[in-house]
Amino acid sequence: MSVASASVADSTDRVTREIPEEELFRARLYSLLSRLLAAAPDAALLAALGRISGDASELGQAFAALARGAAAASAADAAAEYHDLFIGIGRGELLPYGSYYLTGFLHEKPLAELRDALAGLGVVRVPEVKEPEDHIAALCEVMAGLIEGAFGDSAPLTVQRRLFERHIAPWAARFFAELEAAKTAEFYRAVGRVGRLFIGIETIAFAMTPSDELDRRAT
Amino acid sequence: MSEQAERLTAKRREFLKLLGMGGAAGAAALAAGGAAPSEAAAPAQPETGYRETAHVRKFYETARF
Repeated sequence: MSVASASVADSTDRVTREIPEEELFRARLYSLLSRLLAAAPDAALLAALGRISGDASELGQAFAALARGAAAASAADAAAEYHDLFIGIGRGELLPYGSYYLTGFLHEKPLAELRDALAGLGVVRVPEVKEPEDHIAALCEVMAGLIEGAFGDSAPLTVQRRLFERHIAPWAARFFAELEAAKTAEFYRAVGRVGRLFIGIETIAFAMTPSDELDRRAT
Repeated sequence: MSEQAERLTAKRREFLKLLGMGGAAGAAALAAGGAAPSEAAAPAQPETGYRETAHVRKFYETARF
């Protein structure tokens, strides 16, 4: 869902560079989470996910569980699950919005702050979309786009880190943990587990990136 | 880049590599699973556009009442 077209204003001072494989892995995982949280997977996506295998690591095991869940679910099952989780009658079991997790209400200050941050990055919603930007799928799409350079060029880690630490980290792990434990979920529990672990990995990895200060000195 | 920054960057790469390689089979399938089928599922959508999703429609129904 969500997001965005690039701004051209600041694209000239960005440098094109090869994106390392481990960074691309992050982008793919963000894209996958975005796709699965924006809408239920179709049969083709379920089939592809069913072929994933994982090693003995915690994330590997989460991938394996995701694959098992995907192989066991039909597109109709997944669609019903998605509906119960995120749409529901009145509302779904979960409200995957940053503002809701941080304040208890939709459309509060965290959304306004996120909009400012996205504007600063040159990321804007396409006009026909009315969904608030603090939906988890939107945020994952922005992260993937920053890594891959969908908004001009691959964004420096410090820029990614700022968005992650201010607008994702404060609530996303809690959301994914709730998804993992959701009453109406089956396939999506595995999505929650992958998401929760990935947010933890991102948190650790960003702690290993040079600070803004170091980055400024470098440039 | 300062020496400290370089060390940190190398540490980060190692950390992420371990994960990427650890879930190597998973990572490879992510490329196919994450990108291709979802795009194929919505061929009419612009590449960088918001897709109107079920919950988008629902949200605005809810907001109206």
